[in-house]
Amino acid sequence: MHLHDLTIKKFHDGLLKKEFSALEMTQSFFDWIEKRDKEVGAYLSLNKDLAVRQAEETDLKIAKNMPVSMMAGVPMAIKDNLLIEGLPATAASKILKDYTASYDATVIKKLKSAGAVFLGKTNMDEFAMGSSTENSAFQKTKNPHDLTRVPGGSSGGSAAAVASHMAVAALGSDTGGSIRQPAAFCGVVGLKPTYGAVSRFGVIAMASSLDQIGPFTKTVEDSAILFKEILGQDGLDSTSVNADYGEELLNPKLENIKKLKVGIPEEYFVEGLDKEVAEKVDEAIKAIQSLGLEIKKISLPNTKYALSCYYIIMPAEVSSNLERFDGIRYGTRQKAENLLELYKKNREAGFGAESKRRILLGTFVLSSGYYDAYYAKAQKVRRLIKEDFDRAFKDVDVILTPVTPTLPFKIGEKTSDPLSMYLSDIFTIPVNLAGLPAVSIPIKSNVKGPAEGEARQGRQMSKDLPVGFQLIGKPWREADILGIGQYYEKLSR
Amino acid sequence: MLTKKDLAHLAELARIELKEGEEQKLQKDLGAILDYFQELKSVDTENVAPMTGGTELKSVVREDVISPKSKVKSQNGVEAFPETKNGYLKVPPVF
Repeated sequence: MHLHDLTIKKFHDGLLKKEFSALEMTQSFFDWIEKRDKEVGAYLSLNKDLAVRQAEETDLKIAKNMPVSMMAGVPMAIKDNLLIEGLPATAASKILKDYTASYDATVIKKLKSAGAVFLGKTNMDEFAMGSSTENSAFQKTKNPHDLTRVPGGSSGGSAAAVASHMAVAALGSDTGGSIRQPAAFCGVVGLKPTYGAVSRFGVIAMASSLDQIGPFTKTVEDSAILFKEILGQDGLDSTSVNADYGEELLNPKLENIKKLKVGIPEEYFVEGLDKEVAEKVDEAIKAIQSLGLEIKKISLPNTKYALSCYYIIMPAEVSSNLERFDGIRYGTRQKAENLLELYKKNREAGFGAESKRRILLGTFVLSSGYYDAYYAKAQKVRRLIKEDFDRAFKDVDVILTPVTPTLPFKIGEKTSDPLSMYLSDIFTIPVNLAGLPAVSIPIKSNVKGPAEGEARQGRQMSKDLPVGFQLIGKPWREADILGIGQYYEKLSR
Repeated sequence: MLTKKDLAHLAELARIELKEGEEQKLQKDLGAILDYFQELKSVDTENVAPMTGGTELKSVVREDVISPKSKVKSQNGVEAFPETKNGYLKVPPVF
């Protein structure tokens, strides 16, 4: 079996049928990474020793005919802001260059006991702050579909690893789109679960009222499998919730899916949305309509304020979460005469430009005299944005939008202008502000034949670049968005 | 607009030393971002309660007892310290 054919489902079936062993597969993945990652640059560090041991454990169970989980032996990539005991966790920051994690994140603990194999840690924007993975202190990751373009961010390494078959699945984190946007840019499936669905114990915190951990996979079916494995309440994360996810998550019934109403918010199809993206999203809408679902126009009037709202609340939380990186307890320590000088020198040398920008911005909006005009105001606007969704969800069950306004942009295209970079997340940010689940699904063309080939000739530049659409669900209704996605996937295959 | 003095004050609060070339760029970038935020002024938020977290659900509290689940080997944490003396974290003098 070729690595590029592998999904979690196929891996599991092949493993049980003894078509291959977990160890063989792990080694094949490392061989392929050796070749391909020179170009893509998805991994920051590899984890050969532990990976081999994890694979051998699964093979032993298979040999003894013991029951194994769906994730057993599955070679995975893990974003470098998630802690795996004994492995580096740099969050792509110089300030954590020499840091080794002292414990497992809860999601890692769960996946370890399910038998998953961790191939390595993936590149990201420093502390998950960015939309292109260019803010990594260590390396640039390239879009596997076009090496001159960005993979998106901040979980760009995880998205690129799955897209270039250097892992069967991956984990990332999503604060304003950091799973969904790179998934769309790299042509894979990315799920941002409901706030509280997945424990965040052991993720290097960025903005705690927005962060969620979620899966990157090649199929929506895989997304449901991996999500099911990592979800659940955790005593170590007091925002995690014991939600009831039934059978429907993995085995959605078409008769139920058909009854769902899909809302199309007019505010997401406005100026600034690339024509090519709009056309593709329209294809996805038609495909979903063809499944028998009702499509309805809706309005989310406060959408236009989401970016400002987010860029006040998120940096405020960043400025407090990143206080701990001061050179005292971990990381690289600069020489200093006294404590204050140590803090300042460490933070000067350790943080990259975007981290500094956001820390200072957050410090500003929380500072005396500006708190009410910025931070308190943004929290009120956040409620208005959430209420937009509450109202819409009285009429419809899911909301369909584009994931990104543009196709993957060129490396270096937006690095000098932070605001233009921030705008690439306008369609994903409202979801985090409202705490909702959303999935990014690659759009596959249903129309085949010479006509399409001719039409594409004129757009040589972007002909192979992926485009995604986003399905936003009600809180705790991942089953709806993943259910529609699973049937969409069958349709377009 | 963010003055040079404002920026220096923020950097002091955030405990970040700024380098010469950095200051101008930060002033310009932060200024542009703060200008962008002005659009929020036009939003009517009279009688709107602030949304203070990612969920409306109540925080979960538990008994203050050590659970075997939360046990982290303390030695691992100590090993991560940049400087130690006799197993304790070493820091430079406060003054």
